[in-house]
Amino acid sequence: MSSTAPALRARVPRLAGAALERARLTVVPKRKRRHSSPVPFLVVVSMLAVGGIVGLLLFNTSMQQASFAATDLQHQADTLEAKKQSLQMDLDRLRDPQSIALKAQRMGMVLPTSPAVLDLRTGKVLGDPSQATGLERLRLLPPPPAKPAALDPPAHVTVVHESAATHAAERGAHNSPGNTTRGSQQGGQDRGRQDPTRHTDHTGNTGTTR
Amino acid sequence: MPQTRPRGRTGRTPAARNRRPGLAARNRRRSLRGSAALRLRTGLVFIAVVMSFFGARLVQLQGVEPEKYATLAAATGGTVTVDLPATRGDILDRNGRPLADSVEGRMVVADPLQTRAHAAPIARFLSTRLHVDYFKTLHALSQEDTRFAYVARRVPASLAVRVVDAATALGYKGLDTRNDPVRSYPDHDIAANLVGFLGTDGPLAGLELTFDKELAGTDGSETYEVGAGNRIPLGHSTVVPARNGTDLHTTIDEDLQFYTQRVLRQTVLGASADSGFAVVMDRASGEVLALADYPTYDATNPQASLPKNRNSLAMTSPYEPGSVEKVLTLSSLIDAGKVTERTRLVVPPQLPSGDRVIHDWFSHPTLHLTLAGVIAQSSNIGTAKAARLFAPGQLRSYLTKFGLGQRTNIGVNGETAGLLPSKAEWNGMLQDRIAFGQSVSVNGVQMAAAINTIANGGVHVSPSLVQGRARTDTGEVVGTDESTTNRVVSRSAATQMTHMMERVVNPDAGTAPLAQVPGYVVAGKTGTAQRVGPNCACYNGTFTVSFGGFAPADDPRFTVYVVVQNPRNKLGGGGTAGPAYSKIMSFALRRYGVAPSGAQPSHIPTTW
Repeated sequence: MSSTAPALRARVPRLAGAALERARLTVVPKRKRRHSSPVPFLVVVSMLAVGGIVGLLLFNTSMQQASFAATDLQHQADTLEAKKQSLQMDLDRLRDPQSIALKAQRMGMVLPTSPAVLDLRTGKVLGDPSQATGLERLRLLPPPPAKPAALDPPAHVTVVHESAATHAAERGAHNSPGNTTRGSQQGGQDRGRQDPTRHTDHTGNTGTTR
Repeated sequence: MPQTRPRGRTGRTPAARNRRPGLAARNRRRSLRGSAALRLRTGLVFIAVVMSFFGARLVQLQGVEPEKYATLAAATGGTVTVDLPATRGDILDRNGRPLADSVEGRMVVADPLQTRAHAAPIARFLSTRLHVDYFKTLHALSQEDTRFAYVARRVPASLAVRVVDAATALGYKGLDTRNDPVRSYPDHDIAANLVGFLGTDGPLAGLELTFDKELAGTDGSETYEVGAGNRIPLGHSTVVPARNGTDLHTTIDEDLQFYTQRVLRQTVLGASADSGFAVVMDRASGEVLALADYPTYDATNPQASLPKNRNSLAMTSPYEPGSVEKVLTLSSLIDAGKVTERTRLVVPPQLPSGDRVIHDWFSHPTLHLTLAGVIAQSSNIGTAKAARLFAPGQLRSYLTKFGLGQRTNIGVNGETAGLLPSKAEWNGMLQDRIAFGQSVSVNGVQMAAAINTIANGGVHVSPSLVQGRARTDTGEVVGTDESTTNRVVSRSAATQMTHMMERVVNPDAGTAPLAQVPGYVVAGKTGTAQRVGPNCACYNGTFTVSFGGFAPADDPRFTVYVVVQNPRNKLGGGGTAGPAYSKIMSFALRRYGVAPSGAQPSHIPTTW
């Protein structure tokens, strides 16, 4: 063999020498295996695991945190809403026409007797402007509640001062519209305006005095 | 590659060759764990044991007593169901100002088990801060055998939370708040008879009751899991959203309503009368701008007043309109072509009618009045005599077209239809009386709408109290969108009637000079009717006085109708209701900026 092989080689034309060389069987070289320590792998795996757990934990915590914050903010929103509504209630109370009218009357404001209108196009005053009088004052407060019979003024008071009381009432109706001694000053004024000769009892508990 | 070769050449056994140096340590461990089969079997048994525990628990939870565990889970706060209360719709006036609105509120509740120990100081604290009764609170806080007690209900949310927080800060435990919406009536008695009020469990009167379904909406609910008082994110949850109630927009003008109520109260008290009402109506649209009743009540405290004062007498209590009705009779007669405003009538001192005799409110010799004079002087005899010119059934058909005997359906509960005698009952005597407004009964808005027909040129506009449309709980759709118009009398008849009504407020010719509004031409008619008593089907000697009219007469803008029941001042419609009419009309004209036109009132003759 050792003698023939060179002979063969000599005989065979070196046509595909390189290919032939390549085709020669050799032992498969063993794949290089690095038997480094498993630590890096373990580190990576445990980092992944720990990272995942920690991440999940953090995510969960942040969700919880967000939930706390949401609860807090909801509470704050509720409080603010409640505050807004109580302010709205205050506003409604202040805007009540009754309280406005009471304040206006206390400031001495009266309703105009005869409205007049200024036409801006022509500059003419329409209507019959006249000065407002206190007589138009509106009775704003309800009458005091009816007293029980035991507390009603006894009849003898009226009997004793019958003529004097009548005169006083008439004088009050005519001359002093601001008289408040009977607790129904607007009633007194109105009486004076509508029909000075009448003196209706406004307290309503003794309709028989007329 | 060269490095591997030596190993190949060492010539070890295959088994030995497998044992690579790097695996030496592992092999040692493997030997400790035993063979693979054994390990697999052990693991399987272990897993089976664990899984069987799970399975057993599952069967116990789901199969044996699932309800018990479900309730247990719910009770320990696993899931929480909260109501999402629907917000009740507001009741608003025509300018969007609230007559009734809902405010978030809370009830303050206590756990007596925790509060009993400090009941006295807690009760003192709560009574000063929440204005609740000390003794009631003390009792509630020191109850036994219960873990729930009401302390205060319908407290504005901010106040309730503040007070409970303050109590907790002071170391008082066992107080808590729950949802409990507050209904607020910021205007107290203004339009209270219309708006009604809410009881503890639901609406008890007025629009609150009529439109409850629309106002209330539908409550929703939300179920979710909680842990330590906080909602668990991504936890199971279901939400049924609440459907809020819709607002009810009324045609009421809050300020005008206020003024009308105050003038009415002054009028009723001034006349020592039983009750009264006033209606202000927009002429063209038929919208009720104000509907005042007296006596009335405070909607924030309805218990303080009598139940009979809490509904609208104007709408629910029928009454005989009296002479105001002459406007309807005589305008119908003009429309029928039987008379004109200048028709001359001989008015005898009394007029026989069947087996009775008709009188006028003032005794007089035979008078020579024109039709205008009959209205101006409010002559029953003249009206009855003229009404005899009607063809049979004609007057009834006109009055029906004016809206008498039919409900206005403006959305007020318990509205009376009034009483217009049927065709079968109708006879000459009845017609004589109906002609001047007796033996026929109406409700207030019905009558105001009838007068408004004249103001509106003879076209009846059905009145409305609700803007747009709204559905009542009984399914009726009411509101301005549903308003209808129909012609009752001709424009000419309405104009003639307006001229005649202008004579009513004339100091020389008419009965109600006090109803004048300075600067404007006013048309109106007084009414003084005998009242039917509550105990007998007869006139009991008391009266209903009224004044109905419109202004400015040359181009009417508002119709105002004031009625006072049982006045004791003997002044009649012109003297009692007239001044109230004047004040209310003056205010309305001023408020809506109606400029005086400078027109002069009619001067058609009243006598001949």
